[in-house]
This record gives sequence, C-alpha cells and structure tokens, in this order.
Amino acid sequence: MSATVKGPRSGALVWAANRWDSFGLPFLVVMLLVVFSLISPVFRSSYNLVSNLSFASLLGIGSIGMVFCLMSGDLDISVGSMSALAGVLGASMVTRIGAVPAMLLTVLIATACGFINGVFVTRLRIPAFITTLGMQFVYRALAYIYTGNAPVYIKDPTWLAVGSGTVLGVPFPIILMAVCFAAAIYLLRKTSFGRYVIAVGTNKNAAMLSGISVDFMKNAVFTLVGFFVGIATIVSGSFLGSVNPGMTGQGFEFQVITVAVLGGTALTGGNGNMLGALFAALFITYLPNGLGLKQVNSYWQYVATGFVLIFAVGINRAKSAILGLRDT
Amino acid sequence: MLRFLKLYEKFGIFFFIAAGVIFLAVATPNFLKLDTILNIIAQGSYAALVGYGMTLALMSGGFDLSVESIMALTSVFLAILIPVLGIPLAILVSVFIGSTVGLLNGLIISKLKVNPLITTLSMSTIIKGVALLVAGGKGIVILQKQFMTIGTGKILGIPNPIYVMLFFFGIFYLIVYRSPFGRHVAAVGSNESATRISGLNVDAVTIGVYILLAFTAAVASVVRTSQALIGMPSMSPGFVLVVLTVTILGGTSLTGGRGNLWGTLLAGIFISMIYYGLNLINVQIFYQMLAVGLVLMFALFIEGLRVRYLIAAKAKGIKV
Repeated sequence: MSATVKGPRSGALVWAANRWDSFGLPFLVVMLLVVFSLISPVFRSSYNLVSNLSFASLLGIGSIGMVFCLMSGDLDISVGSMSALAGVLGASMVTRIGAVPAMLLTVLIATACGFINGVFVTRLRIPAFITTLGMQFVYRALAYIYTGNAPVYIKDPTWLAVGSGTVLGVPFPIILMAVCFAAAIYLLRKTSFGRYVIAVGTNKNAAMLSGISVDFMKNAVFTLVGFFVGIATIVSGSFLGSVNPGMTGQGFEFQVITVAVLGGTALTGGNGNMLGALFAALFITYLPNGLGLKQVNSYWQYVATGFVLIFAVGINRAKSAILGLRDT
Repeated sequence: MLRFLKLYEKFGIFFFIAAGVIFLAVATPNFLKLDTILNIIAQGSYAALVGYGMTLALMSGGFDLSVESIMALTSVFLAILIPVLGIPLAILVSVFIGSTVGLLNGLIISKLKVNPLITTLSMSTIIKGVALLVAGGKGIVILQKQFMTIGTGKILGIPNPIYVMLFFFGIFYLIVYRSPFGRHVAAVGSNESATRISGLNVDAVTIGVYILLAFTAAVASVVRTSQALIGMPSMSPGFVLVVLTVTILGGTSLTGGRGNLWGTLLAGIFISMIYYGLNLINVQIFYQMLAVGLVLMFALFIEGLRVRYLIAAKAKGIKV
C-alpha cells in the first residue's frame, strides 16, 4: 500500500527480519515449551507433550491447503463447515461400507466441497472470502439437515486407531502430519504446480499472460484445501469418537488461517512458508495447552487466539516493511 | 444481458418481494392480515438495521465479520448495567461500549493497515471471549420488565422495532446520500489512493464507517435483548451472514463505491418473509440457514454478472 518502495535497510533489523521465517517462530515455539515446562510439571510430562503433538496434526494438516490458498491470493473460510459435512457423511457410512471406504469418502466429500468452492470463486469472479462465507453456511446447514442435529458416533476400531494408533512407538497422527507436510513441501518447491501457485498469487495478470490457466490453478488450490481438510476431519473424528454437525470444525477456519499467517504466509499472495505453518500449528496447540494447565479461564483463549492472528499479521507487515518487500 | 442487469438493479428486490407476497398470500390463509405483515417487517428490522451499517462498510470497500460479537458484548453489558444505572443510561453506555469495538476495528484497519477481513475475524473472536468473560459464560436475566417495551411494545398498533428500523433508515439515508461523509465513503471505496492523494482523510472516514457499523449492531442488540430479557454472550450465531446477504441482495456492490440503502431495507424484509414461509411449512431451523446461504450465493451470482458485464461495458465506454 505504501506508494514508495524503500530499498533494503541494513543493520540488525534486516538481520532479524531475514531470519524470522526460518528461526524466529521455531525459537518462539522452543521458548514456549521451555517456559511452560519449567512452570508446570504436568506440561513437561512426555504424555502431555506427545499427545499435544498429535493434536497439533489437526491444525497442521488443515492449514496446508490454506497455505496454498493464501499463496494463490485467496482465502477459504468454509473449511470448518466443510469438515462437519464431510465428517457426518463419512462417519454415518462406516457401518454400511466399512471404515476405510468411509474415511476415503470423507476425504472425497471434503475435496468435492473444495472443488465446488473453486468453481464458484472462478466462475462468479467474486472475492473468495465472501463466496466461501456463503458456502460455510450452506455446508453447515446441510450437515445439520443430514443428521437432524444429532452427533454421529464413530465406534469402528479402524477409524479410532487413526488417532490413537502408533507406528514404531510414534503416534500415527504425527506420522500423518509429517507425510502431509513432506508432500506439500515437495509440491510447493519441486513441482511446476507450486511455482504456478506462486505466480498466480504474485501477479495474476502476468501469470495469465505467460500462459498459466489462472482459473484452473485457483480451482485446483481450492480442491487441495478440501483434500487436506478431509484428512484433518478423519483425524479429528478419530480423536473425539464422534462428528457433531454443530460443533465439528467450529472456528476451524479461524485457527487454520491463524496458523498459516503466523507461519509466515502473506495474505496478499505469492509468499508462503509451509514449514512455518508446521511450527505455527505447534505454537497454537501448545499455547492454550500451557495456559489451560495454568488454570486460565478458557474464555481468555478466545481473546488470546484473536490477538495471535493480529500479532502474526503485524509481524509479517513489519518484516516486509523492513525488507522493502511488497506490503502484506 | 446488460438490459436485464439494469432492470435487476432497479427492480430486482421489488420483484422478489412481490413474488414472495403472492406466494405467501396464496399458500397461507393468515398472511394477508395487518398483524402478520407488521410482524414480518418487525422481524426483518434487525437485519435491515445492521445492514445499513454494512452498506456503508461495503461502500467503503471494507467488510465486517464482528457484528455478532459486538451484539453479544452490548447485550451482556446491557444486562449487567440496567440494575446499576437504570434503563436509559445503561442503553447509552452499552451502545457506547459496542461502538468502541468499531473504533478499534477502524483503528487497526486504517492505522495498522491489516486487511478488514482478518481484523474483524480476529476482533470477532476476541470480543466473543470478552463477552463470555464478562458474563461468566452464561446468559444474564434482566429482571426489569419495563425494559421489554422497547422491543415488544407497539405505538399506534405498529411494533416498535419498525420505528427503530425506519428512524435509522432516515438517519442513514441522510448520511449516505445527503452528507459529505457519504460522498467521502463512496470515494474511498471507489479509489482509495486517489482519494488519499486528493487530500481526504481516508483513515478518519474508515474509522467513522466501522464506528457507525458497530453502532447499528449495538442498537439492534438493544432491541433484541429487550425482547428476550436476557443478556446473551453468544447471540444469534450466523447473523453476520444474514446481514451480508441483505446488503448484497439489496444491490450494494462488493467492489466498493456504491451503496443501495433502499435495497438493504427491502432485502431485510424479504429475508424475513423467507423465514416466515419456512416456519409455515414447519421445517427445522437449519433450513433457514441453508436458505439464507443459497440466497447469498444467488445475490453473489448476480453481482458476479454485474461485475463481468456492466463494468466491462462501462470500461469499453458503452453507455448503459
């Protein structure tokens, strides 16, 4: 927004700004872990640390799609409702088609929701946030109507094992998160798809003129959001043992956007940091955990997470101002 | 296509209301009674009222997702303050507190240059937390029965919320169409940097817009709270969607610079008609959510066509 782009400044600020993405947030996460571990013996128990790492997989996996989406210059705020709809449909099918097909169905439905979002966004040419706001309510209402506002319980041991199972002693959600992030980083850094997403987010018109189908890319990105939300839904269903049309995914969009932005992904598109999102997911998960153990009123957590998002945007802005990058 | 869009801009919402009236009149025996019609209009008053503020926000190229939380905060403070301060002063103070949230939104958006969506999304979470903290997580019952007259009383047989809706329509009509501020808002929404360069205090305009929006939400909350006689820390979930639907269906453009206050008023009534119709066929409340979502998608579809054809035509210099 600033009319004049200042050249890179020198000195300590630039040094810090350059290293914030790679070291700042990880440092913050380590500090958080150390401080809360010193304060609370419950927090530092390996059970608490590991189980929260598992919980972090929800936000981590869910935010991968959002990082792509923000990088392409869009925003999807229907992910929470998408999760509820895909969850109730998938979970209700377990007894009929078996656990594994039902889980695949969950991912498929979430992916389809993402695809539908993409179609609306590209065809209507309306800002994505408002299109997806509308779809947020459509998906949520469909989830309510399908279930009649009753939770769908997941009793199948295979599905439940997704959240509680371990492979070689490592909880399965952690492995799943690692695999998803590895795939996402590969997709972003090593494939033409990732480059195209960055191109579309940096300058849509330039991307179009250089022969990239912008609509196709946007559609693909929204579909990808749905895909990762679907995987996160399987994990959350497995943790909770149920999917609730009203509660599942409530506020998930907010958390996921916070994770992506805190991780260093710019709201203006073009700049993304996939690994940052992983650390941000850890931060967002361990912060309420630590605060909760210190008996802080749970309503403060709303306030805290709200401030974290504004703080994260502020950090990104300060960083680009110092480095003379495009404003975020 | 162009002709259709021009017609739609002028008469679209009238057409919807006419179709709704005909449908309800045929489908239900009770519809064509004065009481029923007044009730429907009164029910639409909240959405229309907050819709005025949202019209201004969209005109300025902004956006607000925090109206629900502002309403909740106002409602909670109202319930706490009425026994302490008495009704008139409590209303003033809680509306003031609600409007302060708008000031914060405006400051963050204009001074820190955080995008409105993220600002109001965060603010919505923060204020929801504050409302829950202040209320202790539960609804606060208001014992002063006379407070109820605001939302449920009638003057000359017309429910009070309708007066509130029309009174603020008058005020916002003057603000939007007859005051320099309205012109400034439209200017900011059309081209912010040009407006800034031409010497207008863009930040002040933006802050003013968000304060007014928060103010309408706070006023709507007073009326709502008075009907329920309870201060609710989690007020009307999904209301922000209704407000946006009303505003966009009414013809206010998402591209900024153009507001349609009449459209907002009528669309508020139209949404209320949909609710009434859905209540008649006894469907669950979730269908209302679905219906509003679908109406919004339809309004967006039209808006998309408008952006595509009308603005393209104007850019090519075709007279429309």
